Parts: sequence; structure tokens; C-alpha cells
Amino acid sequence: MTDTRPRKQALHHFWERIVDQIGYKFTPDEELVDFLLEQEVALEEKFEAPYCPCQRRTGAWAQDMQIICPCIPYHREHYDKMRRCWCGLFVHKDVTDPDTLKQIPPDGV
Amino acid sequence: MSQPRVFLYALSTCPWCRKTKQFLTDTKVEFDFVDVDLLSDDEADAIADKAYEVSGARVFPIVVVGDDVVVGYDPDKLADLLKVGWGS
Repeated sequence: MTDTRPRKQALHHFWERIVDQIGYKFTPDEELVDFLLEQEVALEEKFEAPYCPCQRRTGAWAQDMQIICPCIPYHREHYDKMRRCWCGLFVHKDVTDPDTLKQIPPDGV
Repeated sequence: MSQPRVFLYALSTCPWCRKTKQFLTDTKVEFDFVDVDLLSDDEADAIADKAYEVSGARVFPIVVVGDDVVVGYDPDKLADLLKVGWGS
């Protein structure tokens, strides 16, 4: 069984700096962070990129690259409306109560 | 009054899909589901296309309740559609 902790820590370290630049942070829900990072390390191992655990790859690279974490820039308007990303790994910097944030279907759905 | 048919399109890696399963179980709603990512590639593509057809979405969870479709984890909306009590 692979020890996923080093890769989870690396992703956390790397992404924290990226999302900070665009007004986001990791959700305060640490259990959710750990679960999602675990899924993403497994997805990265299987498909060579940390895809969003709550969206599906289509095989079309132009579309699939838009769900590689952190996928916020590709869905900025939608995620800003929710004040979180779709899987909930990242929230707006001022969020203290992530459980109150709802998933809102993307426009046109 | 008979319960509408409930079908959940899910991903095994998605925590909101798990919360949706838990909600439907806790409220004793009969439902069927599929973890799309656990299917073979061809099956997964076919099922994902069906999910997209009924919802217009490629995000999960997607819950079909009779003729209604709920995209995302929305227990309030599900409770309303299914006429079940649920304390958030």
C-alpha cells in the first residue's frame, strides 16, 4: 500500500500558494481536505493528473484539463457564486463555516 | 402516494455523492445508483453520456427523482421533492 502522505503534503504545500493568489484557501474542514487529497493522489496515480474527484474525465483533453485541480480559474464565475469550488476543497478566504456553502449547478444546467 | 423512482449518478471518489447516498439511506428512500468511475471505460462513457443527457451536467452527484433532476448535493431540494422530513 503506497504511503500517500508525502504526495498529499506536497500538493497541499504547492496548491496553498496558488489558490492564495486568487482569493481562495483550503476549506477549514480538515477531514474533507484529507479525504479529497487522498482521492486526488489516487486519481493522479491512475490518470497522471490530480483530477477533481467530483467531475468526470471525458477523454477530450481540452475539456479534461479544466477539471485538473486546482480548477478554479476555469470555473471562476461559478465557483465565486458558491464561494467554494465544486468538490469543496477550496473556499473563499473569508469563509469560516464551509458546511453552509451549497453546491449550485453550473449555468445552463 | 407512491414514491417516484430515484436514481443517483455518482463517483466513488466524490464526498458529496457519499453524502447524497447517506441522505437517501437516512430518509429511507429507495434508490438505485451507479458509481460511474468504477465501470469499464465503455460502460462509463455510456452512463456518463446518459447522465449528461438528463442533466446537462458533467459534475456529480446527479439525482433523478421521477421527472426532476437535482445536480449537486442539495438535501433541502431532495427532501422537498421526496416529501421526506429532514433536519439540516
